Amino acid sequence: MTEPDGGHDRHVFEALRRNAVEVVPELDEGAFTRDRTLSQLGCNSIDRAEIVTMTMEELGISVPVHEFGQGHDIGTLVRVLRAHS
Amino acid sequence: MTVVVTGLGLVGAVAPDVAGFDDALRCGRVALTACPAPVPPDLGPAFAARLTGFDLERAVASVPDVPAELRDLAVRTARRSPLPVRAATAAAVQAWVDAGLYDRAPAAERIGVVVAGNNLTESYSEAAHAGRVPTRYALHHYDTDHVGTLSRVLGVRGEGCTVGGASASGNLGLVTAARMLADGALDVCLVVGALAELSSSQRRGFLLIGAMAAAGAGPVERPVSPFDRGRRGFHAGEAAACVVLETAESSTARSATPVVRLAGHAVVLDGNHLPDPSVAGEVRAMRLALDRAGIAPARVDYVNAHGTGSPVGDDVEVAALREVFGDEPGPHVNATKGLTGHCLTSAGVVEAVATALQVRGGYVHPNPGLTDPVDPVCRFTGARARRAGLGFALSAGFAFGGLNTAVVFAHPDT
Repeated sequence: MTEPDGGHDRHVFEALRRNAVEVVPELDEGAFTRDRTLSQLGCNSIDRAEIVTMTMEELGISVPVHEFGQGHDIGTLVRVLRAHS
Repeated sequence: MTVVVTGLGLVGAVAPDVAGFDDALRCGRVALTACPAPVPPDLGPAFAARLTGFDLERAVASVPDVPAELRDLAVRTARRSPLPVRAATAAAVQAWVDAGLYDRAPAAERIGVVVAGNNLTESYSEAAHAGRVPTRYALHHYDTDHVGTLSRVLGVRGEGCTVGGASASGNLGLVTAARMLADGALDVCLVVGALAELSSSQRRGFLLIGAMAAAGAGPVERPVSPFDRGRRGFHAGEAAACVVLETAESSTARSATPVVRLAGHAVVLDGNHLPDPSVAGEVRAMRLALDRAGIAPARVDYVNAHGTGSPVGDDVEVAALREVFGDEPGPHVNATKGLTGHCLTSAGVVEAVATALQVRGGYVHPNPGLTDPVDPVCRFTGARARRAGLGFALSAGFAFGGLNTAVVFAHPDT
Protein backbone atom coordinates (compact mmCIF):
# COMPACT_ATOMS: atom_id res chain seq x y z
CA MET A 1 0.00 0.00 0.00
CA THR A 2 1.45 3.38 -0.88
CA GLU A 3 0.59 6.50 1.05
CA PRO A 4 1.11 10.16 0.20
CA ASP A 5 4.05 11.66 2.11
CA GLY A 6 5.37 8.12 2.40
CA GLY A 7 8.45 8.74 4.56
CA HIS A 8 6.75 10.41 7.49
CA ASP A 9 3.74 8.16 7.22
CA ARG A 10 6.01 5.14 7.45
CA HIS A 11 7.79 6.67 10.44
CA VAL A 12 4.50 7.12 12.36
CA PHE A 13 3.33 3.63 11.38
CA GLU A 14 6.61 2.09 12.58
CA ALA A 15 6.49 4.00 15.87
CA LEU A 16 2.97 2.74 16.49
CA ARG A 17 4.00 -0.83 15.69
CA ARG A 18 7.10 -0.69 17.87
CA ASN A 19 5.13 0.61 20.85
CA ALA A 20 2.37 -1.94 20.30
CA VAL A 21 4.95 -4.72 20.50
CA GLU A 22 6.54 -3.18 23.57
CA VAL A 23 3.20 -3.06 25.39
CA VAL A 24 1.97 -6.43 24.10
CA PRO A 25 5.03 -8.56 23.27
CA GLU A 26 2.94 -11.52 22.08
CA LEU A 27 1.29 -9.37 19.41
CA ASP A 28 1.55 -10.87 15.91
CA GLU A 29 3.68 -8.31 14.11
CA GLY A 30 2.82 -9.79 10.73
CA ALA A 31 -0.83 -8.98 11.39
CA PHE A 32 -0.05 -5.33 12.17
CA THR A 33 -1.59 -3.80 9.06
CA ARG A 34 -3.47 -0.58 8.40
CA ASP A 35 -6.83 -2.23 7.93
CA ARG A 36 -6.82 -3.86 11.35
CA THR A 37 -7.67 -2.34 14.73
CA LEU A 38 -5.47 -2.66 17.80
CA SER A 39 -8.35 -4.52 19.48
CA GLN A 40 -8.28 -7.14 16.73
CA LEU A 41 -4.61 -7.65 17.53
CA GLY A 42 -5.44 -8.42 21.17
CA CYS A 43 -4.81 -5.00 22.73
CA ASN A 44 -7.23 -4.12 25.53
CA SER A 45 -8.45 -0.59 26.27
CA ILE A 46 -5.57 0.35 28.54
CA ASP A 47 -3.01 -1.20 26.16
CA ARG A 48 -4.42 0.96 23.33
CA ALA A 49 -4.28 4.12 25.44
CA GLU A 50 -0.70 3.37 26.42
CA ILE A 51 0.43 2.55 22.87
CA VAL A 52 -1.00 5.80 21.53
CA THR A 53 0.43 7.85 24.42
CA MET A 54 3.89 6.34 23.98
CA THR A 55 3.75 7.05 20.26
CA MET A 56 2.72 10.65 20.82
CA GLU A 57 5.60 11.11 23.27
CA GLU A 58 8.01 9.62 20.79
CA LEU A 59 6.79 11.95 18.06
CA GLY A 60 6.72 14.94 20.41
CA ILE A 61 3.04 15.66 19.81
CA SER A 62 -0.13 15.87 21.85
CA VAL A 63 -3.45 14.91 20.33
CA PRO A 64 -6.68 15.47 22.28
CA VAL A 65 -8.02 12.08 23.34
CA HIS A 66 -11.44 12.64 21.74
CA GLU A 67 -9.88 12.86 18.28
CA PHE A 68 -9.00 9.18 18.39
CA GLY A 69 -12.63 8.14 18.76
CA GLN A 70 -13.44 4.46 19.12
CA GLY A 71 -12.60 1.47 17.01
CA HIS A 72 -10.40 3.21 14.45
CA ASP A 73 -8.17 1.01 12.37
CA ILE A 74 -4.40 1.44 12.45
CA GLY A 75 -4.44 3.43 9.19
CA THR A 76 -6.79 5.99 10.77
CA LEU A 77 -4.66 6.21 13.91
CA VAL A 78 -1.63 6.94 11.74
CA ARG A 79 -3.54 9.68 9.88
CA VAL A 80 -4.69 11.34 13.14
CA LEU A 81 -1.16 11.25 14.56
CA ARG A 82 0.32 12.57 11.30
CA ALA A 83 -2.13 15.46 11.22
CA HIS A 84 -0.62 16.74 14.48
CA SER A 85 3.01 16.16 13.73
CA MET B 1 -18.48 -23.33 60.19
CA THR B 2 -15.02 -24.87 59.89
CA VAL B 3 -12.50 -22.93 57.81
CA VAL B 4 -9.30 -24.54 56.58
CA VAL B 5 -6.20 -23.45 54.68
CA THR B 6 -5.74 -25.42 51.48
CA GLY B 7 -3.06 -23.49 49.61
CA LEU B 8 0.00 -21.34 50.29
CA GLY B 9 2.01 -18.90 48.20
CA LEU B 10 4.93 -16.56 48.86
CA VAL B 11 7.30 -14.37 46.87
CA GLY B 12 9.77 -12.25 48.78
CA ALA B 13 13.28 -11.26 49.63
CA VAL B 14 13.38 -14.22 52.00
CA ALA B 15 12.52 -16.78 49.29
CA PRO B 16 11.06 -16.99 45.79
CA ASP B 17 8.43 -19.56 46.75
CA VAL B 18 6.92 -21.58 49.60
CA ALA B 19 9.42 -24.44 49.40
CA GLY B 20 12.24 -21.91 49.63
CA PHE B 21 10.52 -20.20 52.54
CA ASP B 22 10.18 -23.52 54.40
CA ASP B 23 13.91 -24.03 53.91
CA ALA B 24 14.73 -20.47 55.04
CA LEU B 25 12.63 -20.98 58.18
CA ARG B 26 14.27 -24.30 59.02
CA CYS B 27 17.76 -22.85 58.50
CA GLY B 28 17.00 -19.49 60.10
CA ARG B 29 18.17 -17.67 56.99
CA VAL B 30 18.03 -13.91 57.52
CA ALA B 31 17.11 -12.00 54.37
CA LEU B 32 18.14 -8.61 55.75
CA THR B 33 21.15 -6.87 54.31
CA ALA B 34 22.86 -3.66 55.36
CA CYS B 35 21.65 -0.52 53.59
CA PRO B 36 24.01 2.09 52.13
CA ALA B 37 25.01 4.54 54.83
CA PRO B 38 23.13 7.85 54.63
CA VAL B 39 25.01 11.13 54.41
CA PRO B 40 24.54 12.93 57.76
CA PRO B 41 22.27 14.55 58.78
CA ASP B 42 20.08 12.38 56.55
CA LEU B 43 18.40 9.38 58.09
CA GLY B 44 18.57 5.97 56.48
CA PRO B 45 17.53 2.47 57.46
CA ALA B 46 20.14 0.15 58.97
CA PHE B 47 18.94 -3.05 57.23
CA ALA B 48 16.26 -4.04 54.76
CA ALA B 49 15.13 -7.14 52.89
CA ARG B 50 14.30 -5.87 49.38
CA LEU B 51 12.83 -8.02 46.62
CA THR B 52 15.28 -7.27 43.83
CA GLY B 53 15.35 -8.57 40.26
CA PHE B 54 11.83 -9.97 40.42
CA ASP B 55 10.73 -11.40 37.06
CA LEU B 56 7.02 -12.21 36.84
CA GLU B 57 7.39 -14.45 33.82
CA ARG B 58 10.07 -16.57 35.49
CA ALA B 59 8.19 -16.57 38.79
CA VAL B 60 4.95 -17.98 37.40
CA ALA B 61 6.69 -20.34 34.99
CA SER B 62 8.55 -21.91 37.91
CA VAL B 63 5.36 -22.77 39.83
CA PRO B 64 5.26 -26.59 39.79
CA ASP B 65 2.41 -27.93 37.63
CA VAL B 66 1.19 -24.47 36.62
CA PRO B 67 -1.11 -24.81 33.60
CA ALA B 68 0.28 -22.95 30.56
CA GLU B 69 -2.97 -21.03 30.14
CA LEU B 70 -2.84 -19.66 33.70
CA ARG B 71 0.84 -18.84 33.37
CA ASP B 72 0.29 -16.89 30.15
CA LEU B 73 -2.75 -15.04 31.44
CA ALA B 74 -0.88 -14.01 34.60
CA VAL B 75 1.99 -12.61 32.54
CA ARG B 76 -0.29 -10.96 30.00
CA THR B 77 -2.39 -9.30 32.70
CA ALA B 78 0.20 -8.13 35.20
CA ARG B 79 3.38 -7.67 33.18
CA ARG B 80 3.15 -3.86 33.22
CA SER B 81 1.82 -3.60 36.76
CA PRO B 82 3.76 -2.08 39.66
CA LEU B 83 5.95 -4.48 41.67
CA PRO B 84 3.44 -5.12 44.49
CA VAL B 85 0.78 -6.29 42.01
CA ARG B 86 3.25 -8.45 40.07
CA ALA B 87 4.48 -10.09 43.27
CA ALA B 88 0.90 -10.61 44.49
CA THR B 89 0.03 -12.26 41.17
CA ALA B 90 2.90 -14.73 41.47
CA ALA B 91 2.08 -15.53 45.11
CA ALA B 92 -1.61 -16.02 44.28
CA VAL B 93 -0.83 -18.30 41.32
CA GLN B 94 1.38 -20.42 43.60
CA ALA B 95 -1.39 -20.74 46.20
CA TRP B 96 -4.07 -21.38 43.56
CA VAL B 97 -2.08 -24.25 42.07
CA ASP B 98 -1.03 -25.53 45.53
CA ALA B 99 -4.71 -25.72 46.50
CA GLY B 100 -5.49 -27.66 43.32
CA LEU B 101 -7.98 -25.01 42.25
CA TYR B 102 -6.87 -25.19 38.61
CA ASP B 103 -8.04 -28.76 38.60
CA ARG B 104 -11.16 -28.76 40.71
CA ALA B 105 -12.77 -25.59 41.99
CA PRO B 106 -16.20 -24.41 43.08
CA ALA B 107 -18.10 -22.10 40.71
CA ALA B 108 -16.18 -18.89 40.03
CA GLU B 109 -19.02 -16.95 41.72
CA ARG B 110 -18.27 -18.84 44.97
CA ILE B 111 -14.61 -17.77 45.05
CA GLY B 112 -13.46 -14.42 46.39
CA VAL B 113 -10.26 -12.49 46.97
CA VAL B 114 -9.29 -10.27 49.89
CA VAL B 115 -6.16 -8.20 49.50
CA ALA B 116 -4.58 -7.26 52.80
CA GLY B 117 -2.91 -3.87 52.96
CA ASN B 118 -3.49 -0.16 52.52
CA ASN B 119 -1.48 2.72 50.99
CA LEU B 120 0.15 0.22 48.66
CA THR B 121 0.91 2.59 45.82
CA GLU B 122 2.92 5.36 47.47
CA SER B 123 6.19 4.29 45.90
CA TYR B 124 4.55 3.97 42.48
CA SER B 125 2.92 7.39 42.84
CA GLU B 126 6.16 8.98 43.99
CA ALA B 127 7.90 7.73 40.85
CA ALA B 128 4.99 8.92 38.69
CA HIS B 129 5.07 12.38 40.21
CA ALA B 130 8.80 12.61 39.60
CA GLY B 131 8.38 11.99 35.88
CA ARG B 132 5.50 11.87 33.43
CA VAL B 133 2.26 10.37 34.68
CA PRO B 134 1.97 6.89 33.18
CA THR B 135 -1.06 6.10 31.00
CA ARG B 136 -2.01 3.37 33.45
CA TYR B 137 -1.84 5.67 36.47
CA ALA B 138 -5.62 5.92 36.87
CA LEU B 139 -5.76 2.13 37.20
CA HIS B 140 -2.54 1.48 39.02
CA HIS B 141 -2.74 4.16 41.71
CA TYR B 142 -5.62 2.33 43.38
CA ASP B 143 -4.88 -0.36 45.96
CA THR B 144 -7.82 -2.24 44.42
CA ASP B 145 -5.81 -2.72 41.23
CA HIS B 146 -4.59 -5.81 43.12
CA VAL B 147 -8.16 -7.12 43.35
CA GLY B 148 -9.00 -6.53 39.70
CA THR B 149 -5.76 -8.06 38.49
CA LEU B 150 -6.05 -11.18 40.65
CA SER B 151 -9.71 -11.70 39.74
CA ARG B 152 -8.84 -11.45 36.06
CA VAL B 153 -5.90 -13.87 36.31
CA LEU B 154 -7.75 -16.46 38.39
CA GLY B 155 -11.22 -15.95 36.92
CA VAL B 156 -12.63 -15.18 40.36
CA ARG B 157 -16.20 -13.82 40.28
CA GLY B 158 -17.34 -13.74 43.91
CA GLU B 159 -16.61 -10.97 46.41
CA GLY B 160 -13.41 -8.96 46.45
CA CYS B 161 -11.93 -6.02 48.32
CA THR B 162 -8.87 -4.64 50.02
CA VAL B 163 -8.68 -4.59 53.80
CA GLY B 164 -6.49 -1.98 55.45
CA GLY B 165 -5.02 -2.30 58.90
CA ALA B 166 -1.43 -1.09 58.53
CA SER B 167 0.86 -3.73 60.09
CA ALA B 168 -2.15 -5.80 61.18
CA SER B 169 -3.60 -5.89 57.64
CA GLY B 170 -2.67 -9.54 57.08
CA ASN B 171 -4.61 -10.82 60.07
CA LEU B 172 -7.49 -8.47 59.25
CA GLY B 173 -7.57 -9.95 55.76
CA LEU B 174 -7.76 -13.46 57.19
CA VAL B 175 -10.57 -12.43 59.53
CA THR B 176 -12.51 -10.71 56.75
CA ALA B 177 -12.22 -13.73 54.46
CA ALA B 178 -13.17 -16.14 57.24
CA ARG B 179 -16.30 -14.08 57.84
CA MET B 180 -17.22 -14.13 54.16
CA LEU B 181 -16.96 -17.93 54.28
CA ALA B 182 -18.90 -18.18 57.55
CA ASP B 183 -21.54 -15.86 56.14
CA GLY B 184 -22.14 -18.27 53.28
CA ALA B 185 -21.08 -15.70 50.67
CA LEU B 186 -18.18 -17.82 49.41
CA ASP B 187 -16.75 -21.34 49.48
CA VAL B 188 -13.16 -20.29 48.81
CA CYS B 189 -11.40 -17.00 49.49
CA LEU B 190 -7.82 -16.11 48.66
CA VAL B 191 -6.19 -13.81 51.17
CA VAL B 192 -3.30 -12.00 49.58
CA GLY B 193 -0.86 -10.03 51.70
CA ALA B 194 0.28 -7.15 49.50
CA LEU B 195 3.97 -6.35 49.30
CA ALA B 196 4.84 -3.05 50.99
CA GLU B 197 7.12 -1.16 48.62
CA LEU B 198 7.91 1.88 50.71
CA SER B 199 8.15 5.37 49.26
CA SER B 200 10.96 7.59 50.50
CA SER B 201 8.36 9.54 52.53
CA GLN B 202 7.04 6.42 54.20
CA ARG B 203 10.56 5.25 54.99
CA ARG B 204 11.55 8.63 56.40
CA GLY B 205 8.32 8.81 58.39
CA PHE B 206 9.04 5.49 60.09
CA LEU B 207 12.62 6.60 60.79
CA LEU B 208 11.53 9.97 62.20
CA ILE B 209 9.39 8.43 64.93
CA GLY B 210 12.00 5.78 65.69
CA ALA B 211 9.86 2.84 64.58
CA MET B 212 12.36 1.76 61.91
CA ALA B 213 15.96 1.11 62.96
CA ALA B 214 18.19 3.84 61.54
CA ALA B 215 21.71 3.29 60.34
CA GLY B 216 24.14 4.44 63.00
CA ALA B 217 27.53 6.07 62.73
CA GLY B 218 29.52 2.86 62.57
CA PRO B 219 28.97 -0.27 60.53
CA VAL B 220 26.84 -3.03 62.09
CA GLU B 221 27.44 -6.40 60.53
CA ARG B 222 24.35 -8.27 61.61
CA PRO B 223 20.82 -7.18 62.39
CA VAL B 224 19.75 -7.70 65.98
CA SER B 225 16.76 -10.02 66.37
CA PRO B 226 13.39 -8.92 67.70
CA PHE B 227 13.13 -9.61 71.45
CA ASP B 228 16.87 -9.08 71.92
CA ARG B 229 17.92 -6.36 74.34
CA GLY B 230 20.00 -4.77 71.59
CA ARG B 231 17.11 -4.19 69.17
CA ARG B 232 16.54 -0.65 67.92
CA GLY B 233 13.46 -0.81 65.72
CA PHE B 234 12.11 -2.76 62.77
CA HIS B 235 13.87 -3.52 59.51
CA ALA B 236 11.58 -3.38 56.46
CA GLY B 237 11.03 -6.52 54.42
CA GLU B 238 9.38 -7.07 51.05
CA ALA B 239 7.15 -10.05 50.38
CA ALA B 240 3.77 -10.90 48.94
CA ALA B 241 2.01 -13.92 50.35
CA CYS B 242 -1.21 -15.80 49.80
CA VAL B 243 -3.31 -18.18 51.82
CA VAL B 244 -6.31 -20.01 50.36
CA LEU B 245 -9.09 -20.16 52.95
CA GLU B 246 -11.88 -22.59 52.27
CA THR B 247 -14.87 -24.08 54.04
CA ALA B 248 -14.16 -27.61 55.26
CA GLU B 249 -17.20 -28.71 53.27
CA SER B 250 -15.81 -27.36 50.01
CA SER B 251 -12.35 -28.73 50.75
CA THR B 252 -13.78 -32.20 51.39
CA ALA B 253 -16.02 -32.04 48.33
CA ARG B 254 -13.05 -31.51 46.04
CA SER B 255 -10.68 -33.78 47.99
CA ALA B 256 -8.26 -30.98 48.86
CA THR B 257 -5.76 -31.47 51.67
CA PRO B 258 -6.04 -28.94 54.50
CA VAL B 259 -2.70 -27.66 55.78
CA VAL B 260 -4.16 -26.16 58.94
CA ARG B 261 -7.53 -25.17 60.29
CA LEU B 262 -8.33 -21.54 61.15
CA ALA B 263 -9.69 -22.13 64.64
CA GLY B 264 -10.32 -18.62 65.94
CA HIS B 265 -9.63 -14.96 65.40
CA ALA B 266 -10.10 -11.57 67.00
CA VAL B 267 -9.69 -7.89 66.20
CA VAL B 268 -9.95 -5.30 68.95
CA LEU B 269 -9.26 -1.58 69.13
CA ASP B 270 -7.58 0.30 71.95
CA GLY B 271 -9.40 3.57 71.38
CA ASN B 272 -6.03 5.14 70.63
CA HIS B 273 -4.80 7.01 67.58
CA LEU B 274 -1.09 6.81 68.40
CA PRO B 275 1.59 4.29 67.46
CA ASP B 276 1.72 3.16 71.11
CA PRO B 277 0.91 -0.49 71.75
CA SER B 278 -1.01 -1.59 74.84
CA VAL B 279 -0.72 -4.71 76.97
CA ALA B 280 -4.45 -4.67 77.69
CA GLY B 281 -5.42 -4.55 74.01
CA GLU B 282 -2.99 -7.29 72.99
CA VAL B 283 -4.15 -9.50 75.86
CA ARG B 284 -7.78 -8.92 74.92
CA ALA B 285 -7.15 -9.86 71.26
CA MET B 286 -5.25 -13.05 72.14
CA ARG B 287 -7.78 -14.17 74.76
CA LEU B 288 -10.74 -13.49 72.51
CA ALA B 289 -9.19 -15.45 69.64
CA LEU B 290 -8.48 -18.38 72.00
CA ASP B 291 -12.02 -18.22 73.40
CA ARG B 292 -13.44 -18.34 69.90
CA ALA B 293 -11.18 -21.29 69.12
CA GLY B 294 -12.62 -22.92 72.23
CA ILE B 295 -9.25 -23.61 73.85
CA ALA B 296 -7.44 -22.60 77.02
CA PRO B 297 -4.09 -20.77 76.68
CA ALA B 298 -2.30 -23.86 78.02
CA ARG B 299 -3.18 -25.73 74.81
CA VAL B 300 -1.21 -23.31 72.63
CA ASP B 301 2.08 -24.87 71.56
CA TYR B 302 3.45 -22.01 69.53
CA VAL B 303 3.14 -18.25 69.16
CA ASN B 304 4.23 -16.49 66.01
CA ALA B 305 4.77 -13.16 67.71
CA HIS B 306 4.18 -9.78 66.13
CA GLY B 307 7.81 -9.17 67.24
CA THR B 308 8.97 -6.27 65.10
CA GLY B 309 12.12 -5.35 67.01
CA SER B 310 10.55 -2.13 68.25
CA PRO B 311 11.99 -1.39 71.73
CA VAL B 312 8.61 -0.59 73.26
CA GLY B 313 6.55 -2.93 71.05
CA ASP B 314 8.52 -6.05 72.00
CA ASP B 315 8.39 -5.21 75.72
CA VAL B 316 4.64 -4.68 75.59
CA GLU B 317 4.15 -7.92 73.66
CA VAL B 318 6.24 -9.91 76.14
CA ALA B 319 4.16 -8.49 79.00
CA ALA B 320 0.98 -9.46 77.14
CA LEU B 321 2.30 -12.97 76.43
CA ARG B 322 3.20 -13.42 80.12
CA GLU B 323 -0.28 -12.29 81.11
CA VAL B 324 -2.02 -14.68 78.72
CA PHE B 325 0.27 -17.69 79.06
CA GLY B 326 1.45 -17.30 82.66
CA ASP B 327 4.81 -17.28 84.34
CA GLU B 328 5.80 -20.84 83.52
CA PRO B 329 7.58 -21.47 80.21
CA GLY B 330 4.61 -21.66 77.90
CA PRO B 331 4.40 -21.99 74.12
CA HIS B 332 7.39 -21.69 71.82
CA VAL B 333 7.75 -18.09 70.67
CA ASN B 334 9.59 -16.77 67.63
CA ALA B 335 9.48 -13.72 65.38
CA THR B 336 9.39 -14.40 61.65
CA LYS B 337 10.18 -10.72 61.05
CA GLY B 338 13.71 -11.45 62.28
CA LEU B 339 14.18 -13.47 59.06
CA THR B 340 11.90 -11.75 56.54
CA GLY B 341 12.12 -8.19 57.81
CA HIS B 342 8.88 -6.47 58.76
CA CYS B 343 6.69 -6.91 55.70
CA LEU B 344 4.17 -4.42 57.16
CA THR B 345 0.99 -4.80 55.08
CA SER B 346 1.66 -8.43 54.17
CA ALA B 347 3.25 -9.43 57.51
CA GLY B 348 0.17 -11.23 58.83
CA VAL B 349 -0.18 -13.36 55.71
CA VAL B 350 3.57 -14.04 55.51
CA GLU B 351 3.38 -15.18 59.14
CA ALA B 352 0.26 -17.26 58.51
CA VAL B 353 2.27 -19.08 55.82
CA ALA B 354 5.20 -19.44 58.23
CA THR B 355 2.90 -20.77 60.96
CA ALA B 356 1.23 -23.24 58.60
CA LEU B 357 4.63 -24.52 57.41
CA GLN B 358 5.86 -25.00 60.98
CA VAL B 359 2.67 -26.79 62.06
CA ARG B 360 2.87 -29.04 59.00
CA GLY B 361 6.59 -29.65 59.39
CA GLY B 362 6.59 -30.06 63.17
CA TYR B 363 9.25 -27.49 63.96
CA VAL B 364 9.77 -23.96 65.21
CA HIS B 365 12.11 -21.69 63.32
CA PRO B 366 15.13 -20.08 64.98
CA ASN B 367 15.88 -16.40 65.44
CA PRO B 368 19.59 -15.94 64.83
CA GLY B 369 20.77 -12.78 66.51
CA LEU B 370 18.57 -13.35 69.55
CA THR B 371 21.43 -13.76 71.99
CA ASP B 372 20.23 -11.62 74.90
CA PRO B 373 16.47 -12.12 75.24
CA VAL B 374 14.38 -9.46 76.92
CA ASP B 375 12.57 -11.98 79.06
CA PRO B 376 13.83 -15.04 80.96
CA VAL B 377 10.50 -16.87 80.94
CA CYS B 378 9.18 -16.66 77.36
CA ARG B 379 10.31 -19.76 75.47
CA PHE B 380 12.04 -18.01 72.56
CA THR B 381 13.53 -20.27 69.92
CA GLY B 382 17.28 -19.84 70.02
CA ALA B 383 19.84 -19.96 67.26
CA ARG B 384 18.66 -23.32 65.89
CA ALA B 385 15.32 -24.70 64.76
CA ARG B 386 13.68 -27.15 67.16
CA ARG B 387 11.46 -30.10 66.41
CA ALA B 388 8.07 -29.55 67.98
CA GLY B 389 4.69 -31.15 67.52
CA LEU B 390 2.37 -28.18 67.12
CA GLY B 391 -1.34 -28.70 67.76
CA PHE B 392 -2.46 -25.09 68.22
CA ALA B 393 -0.58 -21.98 67.14
CA LEU B 394 -1.40 -18.31 67.63
CA SER B 395 -0.20 -15.59 65.26
CA ALA B 396 -0.35 -12.03 66.57
CA GLY B 397 -0.53 -8.81 64.58
CA PHE B 398 -0.63 -5.29 66.00
CA ALA B 399 -0.68 -1.91 64.33
CA PHE B 400 -0.47 1.82 64.85
CA GLY B 401 -3.77 3.28 65.94
CA GLY B 402 -4.38 0.64 68.60
CA LEU B 403 -5.27 -2.22 66.26
CA ASN B 404 -4.78 -5.59 67.95
CA THR B 405 -5.38 -8.88 66.18
CA ALA B 406 -4.77 -12.56 66.77
CA VAL B 407 -5.53 -15.67 64.75
CA VAL B 408 -5.39 -19.25 65.98
CA PHE B 409 -4.44 -22.09 63.67
CA ALA B 410 -4.81 -25.78 64.46
CA HIS B 411 -3.18 -28.87 63.05
CA PRO B 412 -5.86 -30.54 60.91
CA ASP B 413 -5.79 -33.61 63.20
CA THR B 414 -6.60 -31.65 66.36
